Amino acid sequence: MAKLDIPLILIGALASAALLIPALDVGLGKVRNAKFSAYFTMLILAFALLILTIGGLGLVTLDSSVPNLLQNDLLGVFFGFVVILVALLVTVASFDYMKDNPNVSIYYSFLLFTSLGMVVLSFAVDLLMIFVAWELMSLPTFILAGFMKKDKLSNEAAVKYFILGALSSGILLYGMSIIFGLSGSTNLNVVLNALTDLSPNMIPVAGFGAVMLIAGFGLKLSIVPFHMWIPDAYEGAPTTVSALLSAATKKAGFVAAIRVFAVIFPLLRFDLSMSLAIIAIATMTLGNLAALTQKSMTRMLAYSSIAQGGYLLIGLVVLPTSPLGLSGLLYHSLNHALLQATAFIAVAAFRHKTSKTSISSYNGLARVMPITAFSLMISLLGLVGIPPLNGFWSKLVLFTAAADGGFAWLALGGLVNSAISLGYYGIIVKRMYMDEPTEKVSIKESFPFTAVLLIASMIIILTGIFPGPVYEFASRASIQFLSGI
Amino acid sequence: MEPLSSYFLLSLVLLAIGIYGLIAKRNAIRLLFAVEIIINSATINFVAFSRYLQQPVITGQTFSLFAIALAATEAAVGLAIIVQAFRLNKDIDVLELKRLKG
Repeated sequence: MAKLDIPLILIGALASAALLIPALDVGLGKVRNAKFSAYFTMLILAFALLILTIGGLGLVTLDSSVPNLLQNDLLGVFFGFVVILVALLVTVASFDYMKDNPNVSIYYSFLLFTSLGMVVLSFAVDLLMIFVAWELMSLPTFILAGFMKKDKLSNEAAVKYFILGALSSGILLYGMSIIFGLSGSTNLNVVLNALTDLSPNMIPVAGFGAVMLIAGFGLKLSIVPFHMWIPDAYEGAPTTVSALLSAATKKAGFVAAIRVFAVIFPLLRFDLSMSLAIIAIATMTLGNLAALTQKSMTRMLAYSSIAQGGYLLIGLVVLPTSPLGLSGLLYHSLNHALLQATAFIAVAAFRHKTSKTSISSYNGLARVMPITAFSLMISLLGLVGIPPLNGFWSKLVLFTAAADGGFAWLALGGLVNSAISLGYYGIIVKRMYMDEPTEKVSIKESFPFTAVLLIASMIIILTGIFPGPVYEFASRASIQFLSGI
Repeated sequence: MEPLSSYFLLSLVLLAIGIYGLIAKRNAIRLLFAVEIIINSATINFVAFSRYLQQPVITGQTFSLFAIALAATEAAVGLAIIVQAFRLNKDIDVLELKRLKG
């Protein structure tokens, strides 16, 4: 079989495109480049998605030219697929949303840079590479969050996101330095071997390092108590960027957390799963309860994103005890990324036309913007986990894994939380389909938005009716990863 | 005291100062400083560990160079955002930033 070095190809393609686009401002002129860069970004991301699909289907042997830094395995391919898919949806949605911005080519360039960071993070197995990719992922998103630079809300979101994001990298770096000090290496496989004969009086230091790593990752993964910045950042940022932050950046954070924690946790010789389980249940409960009381749509979706992070954390809790845990985490990552991106893009479509975000302005949306309302309904019902949609299957796997790994109360908590979440998701659907619209004018839905929303809803429904292939991909990736450590 | 523990103590103190600064200060530039102090405390750790381990390795020093470069880019991005905040609000007190409220 042919060999394929996926990280190397993607780094080359994404980085050269990201560097080329701003340069073309000079050659083509700003106005023509605005159009060109949008289509070019879409093409490059579609190419990246194609490469990742080929790798994921098992048609080629996965091979890496720098196996100590970037490991080309199915886990990386899976998460690369998730983040590139979201980036592609966001790019197409941005065609219309960003149309009037004068610096639109820079926007697409940063979109490519952050996708590059996320892809590299998916494959990285060296602490140095993880840190560099982490920064490459974070720095463009700080700028994207504040991209509407004359808009005070966007700027405020960027300031809050920046302070917390920079703190997250600082804390993460400190945790890494302790791991390096204990093991004398930054490669995760070497760290694993070096730490197995750690002297017992160093265990407290290792525990301190692990806490720093949890805090550093936790700030990005939006787990309680590090979640305060999320609603502000998502509400103020351009809504397409919020889609990217909640659907893609968080998932890339999860893959780094999986790779690091899979190495660190078994070596600590004290059990961290109970404390993680408590964090998981606190995250989902707090997210869901706060979402119930929100008046703004983007804020509600931000809290729902925090709650969904709690569900994902279940996979990390049962990682050592149940083989289903990791595949559930992967499977729910893909589904949640799709659902959350679709919901945010639908909200972006509505906000772009009306510049309203309050929940009450969604009354009777089904008559005013039928396609947007339909895909918003599909994605919200998917987030609750209504049976024919894909969110149901992945939640099923996650909760089964929790019961299987000895955390039956966590599965029960997850079920109760899903029931609570129906409260605020259901009320939106009811408002869109049952209530009378406040203004009886129909709004013309623009083509890029309807296209991306319909395609995303199609994928959600199809992967819900035929969950087999995606779940098989997720479980192959998790089995390969677990057999490697 | 042996050198490694004194360096580790120094980095812990710097970390504590950084976290104190983040909690207690309201000026956005000061917060940026606090974050930089945290990054530098980790950098000190890397260099000290790299030098005083049983088998000294160069990896830690390489890592610290990367960390310094990335901290500089982070400061550049952060300053750009904070300058824009000052232009819009005529103030960089982060507690005054409360337009986004649920």
